[in-house]
Amino acid sequence: MTIVFAFAAAALFGIGAYLVLSRELVRVVFGVVVISQSAVLTLIASALTHGPAPIAPLGEGPVSDPLSQAMALTAIVIGMAVIALLLALIIRVVHAYRSNEIDEIAEAETERDARLERQSGAEHEREEAAAR
Amino acid sequence: MTALSIALVVPWAAGTVLVLLDGRRRLVGWLAVAALGVALVALVVLATSVASDESLVITTGGWPVGVGITLRADPLGLLFAILSLVVLIAAMLHEVLDGVRERAFPGLVTLLAAGLSGVFLTGDLFNFYVFFELALAASYVLATYGGTRRALSAALVFAAVNLLGTFVFLLSVASVYHVTGTLNMAGIAVRMANVDPNAALLIAVGFFVAFSVKLGLFPFHFWLPTVYTGARPAVAAILSGGLANIGAYGLLRFGGELLARELELAAGALIIIGSASILYGGILAISRRSSSEVIAYSAIGQVGYVLVAIGIGGTVGFGAAILYTVINALNKTVLFLTVRMRGVVIGLVFAFAGFSVAGVPPAAGFIGKLELFRAAAGSPALLLLLFVGSALSFVYVFQIYQYDFWREGRIGRPAGAAQQILIGSMCLLILAAGIWPEPLLALSHAAAQVLAGADR
Repeated sequence: MTIVFAFAAAALFGIGAYLVLSRELVRVVFGVVVISQSAVLTLIASALTHGPAPIAPLGEGPVSDPLSQAMALTAIVIGMAVIALLLALIIRVVHAYRSNEIDEIAEAETERDARLERQSGAEHEREEAAAR
Repeated sequence: MTALSIALVVPWAAGTVLVLLDGRRRLVGWLAVAALGVALVALVVLATSVASDESLVITTGGWPVGVGITLRADPLGLLFAILSLVVLIAAMLHEVLDGVRERAFPGLVTLLAAGLSGVFLTGDLFNFYVFFELALAASYVLATYGGTRRALSAALVFAAVNLLGTFVFLLSVASVYHVTGTLNMAGIAVRMANVDPNAALLIAVGFFVAFSVKLGLFPFHFWLPTVYTGARPAVAAILSGGLANIGAYGLLRFGGELLARELELAAGALIIIGSASILYGGILAISRRSSSEVIAYSAIGQVGYVLVAIGIGGTVGFGAAILYTVINALNKTVLFLTVRMRGVVIGLVFAFAGFSVAGVPPAAGFIGKLELFRAAAGSPALLLLLFVGSALSFVYVFQIYQYDFWREGRIGRPAGAAQQILIGSMCLLILAAGIWPEPLLALSHAAAQVLAGADR
């Protein structure tokens, strides 16, 4: 049983990692969501060692520790709130840069840095010339 | 008991209310400062009572021990909680005096304070994660403060990277529960000894990655310069002086107490990563020309010292790591707060904080470096590394000082009288800690004694 959960969590993490590395901002968020589900699944699986999940009505025999279910619920709620925050942030970024592509945003930032670099370089040369 | 509740509940309740109010009004800003002040007083009262006897452990909600969530106030947690609150109060005062620009700012800083105090004072692993997320969620929004394009894209990077870090942390929490069957940190520390070493090592790596991302150590640093330079000075001070403490605390608490055996195993690797961080941060800081960039790269270098000290281990190593974290947080706060201001006092303060970063007496940084040298006394290579690191920091700090203050390269407005007093008093705190270091030394040694792994 544990091995099934382990593979499922690993697969989710892998899919999430693939999405996080993509170029669209919304896909990055989806990647984070999938990775968070991988963590939640691990949390649920971490206590499923003594029997079936403790869901009422309880069957015969021992059931697993229900604490991890409570933790998983908390983690899901926190994850949802944070993802909502991240999506709101992305809306603002898309409005500010008028783009949903990471490359274009990075390009805008690089241009800005290059401009500053040229400025300080020109200043430096003027100072050098004045010193000579 | 009541002091502990006040320290956690007051900032949380105040933050929830203040987020709803218009923070641009002065009154709201001052209310937030007052709430943080109350929490700080409660923590100091708690610290005096804990210093006299054993650390305080409370099980919340009147549950039997082992069932309820435990809160724990010991010297290590209290020292970090007090440090973070001092930094947050300074940054908040600075921003309130300057004029708050966005309505949520005071409430978010107060919530961040609640999250940080919770992280440092909890004795329960999952509760640690909850407070951790509270602090981080507040700081994701704080990173957008100012609302410029740059701040927004920096906040996006910050939020995405740190979210991944927290999920790695959560994976490790789940694994710990799987192998030990408890969430109580004291219980985990005991049961970890019987766990399969391979599983324990994997868990330890997960925690290390999660906390290194927070600290901005060398291979995990890539988000840090963007965020610290994109954010406003007060936010940069809060992130580097307040939030980054979680990383140092986590490495100390999890490495020194919960996973002491794994820390010992990985000591060499930690020292190597720390050294790489010191050199990388120092060299890149020299290549930069704007003060916020220099300080951001310097932050990467400075946390390297903390990691090296943790790698050395033992009471001396952990003590040095704790002391250096405290001093580094104060230095970074002062440096970031002065980034966009001009004036004679600001120049003096910047130079003095620069002395502290480089480790020149009488600034507190000297004491921090001295402790590091003491911890590394056995190894000539490490002594050389520390020396090179200090030399690099001396060069970058005064290169940027010369550029900003002698050639008037600094953009910004002259500081107001109240802000000068605030920054001056933070600077005096660093001076006082350098001239009379005994209390801080005693505190950091008491904090290091808490960690079980310090016995080796």
